Amino acid sequence: MQLFIEQLLNGVAMGSIYALITLGLALVYGILRILHIAHAAIYTVGAYVGLFLFKLSGSLIIGVAGSMVFCALLGVGIERFVYYPLLKYPPYVPLIGSIAVMLAIEELCRLVAGPQILTFQAVLPFPQFQIGGITVSSTLTAVYCITALVLLLLWYITSKTELGLAMRAVSQDIPIADAMGINSHLIVSLTFAIGSAIAAVAGSLVGIYYNQVYPTMGTVPAYKTLALIVVGGLGSVPGAVVASLLLGVAETLLIGYANIPLPRDALAFIAMIAVLMWRSEGLLGSR
Amino acid sequence: MKITKLLILAGLVLLLGIGTAGAADTIKIGLMAPLTGFAAADGASVLNSVKLAVERVNSQGGLLGKKVELIAYDDRANGKEAVAVARKLIQQDRVVGVVAGSYSTPSRASAPIFEDEQIPFVAAYAVHPDITKAGNYCFRNGFLGMVEGKSAGFVAVQMLKAKRIALLTSDNDFGRTLAEGFKAYIQDYAKGAKIVYAQTYPFKEKDFKPYLSKIKEINPDLIFASGYYFQTGPILKQAREMGIKTQILGEEGADSPKTMEIAGKAAEGFVIVTNLNRDDPRPEVQTFLKEYESRYKIQPDMVGASAYDAFMIICDAIKRAGSTDGKAIRDAIAGTRNYRALTGEIKGFNDIGEVVKEVQVQIVKEGRFHNFGVVTDMNLITP
Repeated sequence: MQLFIEQLLNGVAMGSIYALITLGLALVYGILRILHIAHAAIYTVGAYVGLFLFKLSGSLIIGVAGSMVFCALLGVGIERFVYYPLLKYPPYVPLIGSIAVMLAIEELCRLVAGPQILTFQAVLPFPQFQIGGITVSSTLTAVYCITALVLLLLWYITSKTELGLAMRAVSQDIPIADAMGINSHLIVSLTFAIGSAIAAVAGSLVGIYYNQVYPTMGTVPAYKTLALIVVGGLGSVPGAVVASLLLGVAETLLIGYANIPLPRDALAFIAMIAVLMWRSEGLLGSR
Repeated sequence: MKITKLLILAGLVLLLGIGTAGAADTIKIGLMAPLTGFAAADGASVLNSVKLAVERVNSQGGLLGKKVELIAYDDRANGKEAVAVARKLIQQDRVVGVVAGSYSTPSRASAPIFEDEQIPFVAAYAVHPDITKAGNYCFRNGFLGMVEGKSAGFVAVQMLKAKRIALLTSDNDFGRTLAEGFKAYIQDYAKGAKIVYAQTYPFKEKDFKPYLSKIKEINPDLIFASGYYFQTGPILKQAREMGIKTQILGEEGADSPKTMEIAGKAAEGFVIVTNLNRDDPRPEVQTFLKEYESRYKIQPDMVGASAYDAFMIICDAIKRAGSTDGKAIRDAIAGTRNYRALTGEIKGFNDIGEVVKEVQVQIVKEGRFHNFGVVTDMNLITP
């Protein structure tokens, strides 16, 4: 039982990390209906910028905040200069553009910061818990708290503010939203900014969590998050969160109990194929 | 018009070819290393160390009255890339010997090519058995995976007194061969010890908590983690974070300052079997360690020292052969006896081309590797 609870805690932490990375992708798909692969590259940049500013200033808060601003601008830049001009073409054109941006940013990170693994030696100021024989380490606590905070903020923005209302309007129908006096292009840019800022938090958090920052850290998330938004229901933010948490727990339990020869990454795609076959709208999506 | 242009071009190319072939006033030795890609930290260590070796040889007057020139290429730890680089070293640069300062996969892919051209090839630290089996011209200065795995078993049972052992193995040639060696030792030599958990993890794994939670429940005496620093480093860190106090044993893949950088304080007390003893009192070793650290501002590691040795073994052979002829160098390498290398005294090479020398055991104290012991049992270290 104790082992089960520990594995559950590990799984929820893994799922929380997946959720943080997937959120931006779900937001962007919800509003523009494009698969924003380059989101994983923004996540990598977020880790690098966070690490750089942290080393420069010695403050983790400045590092992460600076990284959020930088990534928000980067996200908006990609939207303005890559996706916006391509929106008039069929959806695979922005997708190809996105893959190109992803590769370009990854290589740029390698050229600027070098190919080797950098370490992100920051201490996350969170407490450690000891309940019975179960230890909840401070890094696990940090992952839970930060994810909860981000989700709460995002929920507040999307459902309690006028910006959230405008975002929903734009995601339903851009021309109608425009006709109602919403500056829909501004709303799209803001959505990218929010999603990318969350990716910066995710990048920095993962960098600290594993104490590793390297140019290809976005490669696995790039395709795994894709599977996750499909499983969650394309464009559904709550769906993406639920899918991420479920996958994190499922992966961890499967590794912990069954010695499967499959690498854990395969599970996300098995889930994706199953969803596409039997419930194509996803867990929480609507047709 | 087109034809004249073509002719001029062809002429130029020919001239260039003659130009390089004619400039044989240096002795060219090739180096293949993963300078970019996931193994780039090891590649940098290899290149830095071999550069020191080149300087050393040239400052002592070079070889056969000529300067030694290093031709280093990046193989990205990739088999296909290694084949292309091997052809370049042979056809364009016409090297007389090659140091394979890279991983098993690229070294395995390129060894047969050098064998065919009769160019002596010394693998610095790759562990796969096929490398030396490519033929007579292929040697290895590092340990065979089985030798190192068995030595790790000896350290676990004899030196660290473990009875119940858990294995965490990286799922590639390197990790699996080491785990096999370890298991072979337990089966043949250690009747009292038992492997209570054995698990391979995917190469790109970052989150080891699911495995470690399981290990925590089993509560073994020792964990043998066979993988690279970017795997064993996180294992150390995550295990200590989870409150696991079990002794962890690693091998040369974790022999890098990066292990301590990634794991931080969690690396204290971590033991590895490897090829380089930092506390070796011989002056040549201490000079190398000091010079490396003062020049490159990072601690030297086993891959660098092994590549330095591989380079020096070729140079030593050229000197003794008095020639740069491939066969003469090969015979001289095969005839190496009691050579004082950075990575211990090389007793010689066996018929397959495997080195015979003692296996070093190191422990991390205050963020640095220090001497913990040596495996001298000839039954274990003879390949």
